[in-house]
Amino acid sequence: MTDTFPHHPASYRDPSGFVFEIDGLLYRQVNQSFKEHFDHFIQSGCYDHLVKNGWLIPHQSVPQDFWGDHRFYATIRPERVAFISYPYEWCFDMLKDAALLTLRILRAALDFGLILKDASPGNVQWHEGKLVFIDTLSFEKYQERPWIAYRQFCEQFLAPLLLMHYSRKHMPNLLLAWPEGIPLPIASSLLPRRSRFSLYAYLHLHLHARYSLKPVVAGDAEGRHLPKKKLINLIGSLEALLQRLKAPREKTNWSDYYEEANRRPDYITAKKNLIQSWVNGLTAVETVTDLGANRGEFAKLVAENRRVIACDFDGQPVNDLYNEIKASGEKRIQPLILDLSNPSPATGVGNRERNSFIDRSDADLVMALALLHHLAIGKNIPFHLIAATLSRLGKKLIIEFVPKEDEKVRLMLAQKKDIYDDYHREAFEQAFLEHYTILREQTIAGSERVLYLMERHEGKAGHTT
Amino acid sequence: MIPQLLYIDPGSGSFIVQIIAAGVVGVALFFKNIKLYIRSLFTRSQKKTKDNPPA
Repeated sequence: MTDTFPHHPASYRDPSGFVFEIDGLLYRQVNQSFKEHFDHFIQSGCYDHLVKNGWLIPHQSVPQDFWGDHRFYATIRPERVAFISYPYEWCFDMLKDAALLTLRILRAALDFGLILKDASPGNVQWHEGKLVFIDTLSFEKYQERPWIAYRQFCEQFLAPLLLMHYSRKHMPNLLLAWPEGIPLPIASSLLPRRSRFSLYAYLHLHLHARYSLKPVVAGDAEGRHLPKKKLINLIGSLEALLQRLKAPREKTNWSDYYEEANRRPDYITAKKNLIQSWVNGLTAVETVTDLGANRGEFAKLVAENRRVIACDFDGQPVNDLYNEIKASGEKRIQPLILDLSNPSPATGVGNRERNSFIDRSDADLVMALALLHHLAIGKNIPFHLIAATLSRLGKKLIIEFVPKEDEKVRLMLAQKKDIYDDYHREAFEQAFLEHYTILREQTIAGSERVLYLMERHEGKAGHTT
Repeated sequence: MIPQLLYIDPGSGSFIVQIIAAGVVGVALFFKNIKLYIRSLFTRSQKKTKDNPPA
């Protein structure tokens, strides 16, 4: 297929249309070949129903053919998602809720005589505090046939969720290793024997894995029949299985962080006051990336009037934060699993389909609180590399320097040889001054830690290294 | 017949499994409904469970 149109690099699979960007606005062309399905989707009321319930991203019709393309049927302009995230950055309950949303939409679509032609977590995004379905061209007319996206659903949603449920471990990297979904025979062989005693897990995963090795038969797609009532039963069984899956509850070093921090209330209060006064004194800070956010205590502090991405490498606090946000209806915080020592890479075709975290992050303010010692001592990353990495994530930086005398650092050093002669404030400042100007610095009361506010040198190589 | 734009590989095996699974689920729901009905005879109020989708 040759094509001269500037598709979005992730928009190449589906022949129903393509996504493109002009002057910072995102558009989507609907192709003639998809006309009948798209018209039915709109005219049946399905679109209105899904948008009214907040399940689908709304779009506007744009009466313009931008490319003079012979395939052109219509142009739509979907509402833009502020920050695109990928399933390998999601916690367990977020992936589970994305799966349940997909099935809820599938059920609703069937009521309007439509069916989902794909079922990938990539069709779901975090938008204004909740998960929404973003693929407006996923709906096609339903014809009492088996669901063509069933295998995709099982590979991309069910397999990773079952593996995490049964192993009781957070494993977001599963979908980084298999972005197209975990092949069912692999998932089946990794799952414990007891998973076979769950009827629905057996049917949708283990039995499915056995049959997935069967060679493709020409004409099978047209030949098979599955009545709607049976398909709805099938969806119900997938929902029932998903509802039973429980997020792993891992006890990690971080789980007790706040309980422990609460033993030092002066320090926490002083740190909060300091951050709040600094941030309130800054102009033009609309987006914040909080690294090492844990359960988002400081993310919440700055979230008023700002959009915050709360990152942590540990799936457990991110999952806790996600559930808290879900319960409270907080709209401004987006929870994300991210390991700063190994941020999400660019993946997919030509490494352009899904951007790296660093390419997606352009925050007005980056916060790295109680994080430095974990990177510098825990992972042996030199200050200059930490400074270079952070400077690529956003313009301003609030960073906490944790000295060697600090109780936490002493604990870390008790378990390993102290080879960190350069771990002191002077070296830290020197490394960061390469990329930043220090605007403020202050020792946090009740501790020996120092908080810095810095601003990135613009136009310097720092943030492009 | 409307042509379907099959751009993902649905897999022939997946179609067969759906048909088998839908059948098994139907039988399971049948027995579950009987169980719920019998239970309802012995309890005052019948509660609908989440796991019991409309059949």
